[in-house]
Amino acid sequence: MKTLVLRGLGKTYFDVYAGAHVTAVEDVSLEVKDGEFVALVGPSGCGKTTLLNMIAGFILPSRGEILLDGRRVQGPGPDRGVVFQSFALFPWKTVLDNVTFGLKMRGLPRGERDRIGREYVALVGLAGAEGRYPADLSGGMQQRVGVARALANRPDVLLMDEPFASVDAQTRMTLQEELTRIWQDRRPTIVFVTHDVEEAVFLANRVVVLSRAPGRVVAELTVPVPRPRIWARLVEDGPFKALVAEVLHLVRPV
Amino acid sequence: MRRAERRGRRDATGPGPGRLLGFLVRWTVTHPALGAALAFAPVVLLWAAVAAAGVFPRVFFPGPAEVVRAFASLTYKGILPAYLEDSLIRLAAGAAAGTALGIPLGLAVGLSRRAHALGWPILLFFQAIGDIAWLPILLLWFGFGLTTMTVVIVYTVLFPVVLNTVLGVRSVPVELTRAAASLGAPRWRIVGEVVLPGALPNILTGLRNGLGYGWRALIAAEMIVGTSGIGFLMFDARRAGQVTEILLGMIVLGLLWSVVDGWLLVPLERATVQRWGLVAG
Repeated sequence: MKTLVLRGLGKTYFDVYAGAHVTAVEDVSLEVKDGEFVALVGPSGCGKTTLLNMIAGFILPSRGEILLDGRRVQGPGPDRGVVFQSFALFPWKTVLDNVTFGLKMRGLPRGERDRIGREYVALVGLAGAEGRYPADLSGGMQQRVGVARALANRPDVLLMDEPFASVDAQTRMTLQEELTRIWQDRRPTIVFVTHDVEEAVFLANRVVVLSRAPGRVVAELTVPVPRPRIWARLVEDGPFKALVAEVLHLVRPV
Repeated sequence: MRRAERRGRRDATGPGPGRLLGFLVRWTVTHPALGAALAFAPVVLLWAAVAAAGVFPRVFFPGPAEVVRAFASLTYKGILPAYLEDSLIRLAAGAAAGTALGIPLGLAVGLSRRAHALGWPILLFFQAIGDIAWLPILLLWFGFGLTTMTVVIVYTVLFPVVLNTVLGVRSVPVELTRAAASLGAPRWRIVGEVVLPGALPNILTGLRNGLGYGWRALIAAEMIVGTSGIGFLMFDARRAGQVTEILLGMIVLGLLWSVVDGWLLVPLERATVQRWGLVAG
């Protein structure tokens, strides 16, 4: 079992413009079990992205530690796949070469990595687009490539940083439904950061609510809503709506 | 090119009075060189008219016909092809050396904060001392010869390439290097797979500027140092009072740049940065 453990995690940095130390993340402790889908939700600027960047190893924590499978996280690595809000696809690589990038870094021969790559391109519903360049794709399609690229590398944890925030509302719903389908199918461990309460409740098994900056864990709620989750059905669903309301009150206390 | 051709064919199918216009449009699209030549028609006509009117003495202001005759005669004697070859080989060698030095240097300065702190002010300083400003001291050091000329060209090409590579490296979005790192790429592979292609639009700009400056510096150096080359041809013609040959040299300079741009730089950009959607096509 590959468990992700955050212990007393905090980040304070020096803001050169304000000329003062700013605490983005106060003290976060959290445990994410193998195969779990956890959503981190909180008000804008509560340090969600900072938290995720620390787990990814992009920035160093000021306090506390991050353990994955008992090992301390020291920097970025292929055990933690990342899906970015800005997609961050390589514009000079085709869809297939983007998806197989991690496998190439691992030294897999071309034939084998292309076979695996095609499987993941198909998994996100892009079969046929393998040879296209990211600039030719819509935002929604680009983020499908981003998800396939991260998954094809078989990470222990998938870190998603507001991945659907920059696509239109219709596409976002489709992508959310597809992500729950992929999760049910493959059971990757996912830590999903969002400011959208409905999205968090729709996707996750467990919703972790963070406070206003500097971020602390305010509450953890399990989501008993059965799967498969489909918007058309949940939009009228009483328990779903009640849970969304509960989380919303925690994120925006009166 | 193929796409342009298809577009041209579609324009030409328009019936009726638009036919002639359609033909002209198609012609300029399918033959961009001829289209560009068409733009010069009024310039050449004006030139011919002024020369024919005899406002200036013919010796100082020859017309296009004389220049074409000089072109034919110098080509027949083999002087023009030989000089052109000399100039182009010098430019190509200098550009290749300048680029080969410039890209790695630019990567180093762009990637390392320490190298940037040390290197950037030095680069800016030496960039300001333009190519020709080096000629006096180079002539003393290396004399009137190939070494002096080579140093001037390499120097001229090097700086635009280095400075633009540094800018390119620093313009690569941090998410891209982060994505590569989180997919397991070690640092040296990030440089090859992400930083270099990400910096390519700027590197190509640097190469374009470098070749342009290098070409000018070469002509200037050939005038002062040379024993052959287009610059030498023009300066030598001045000594003999041959205005026709000077004009011919000037026209060759302009034409040659169109060739370098159209046959080297534009296809290179079309195959890379335009295809990737990094710059508008």
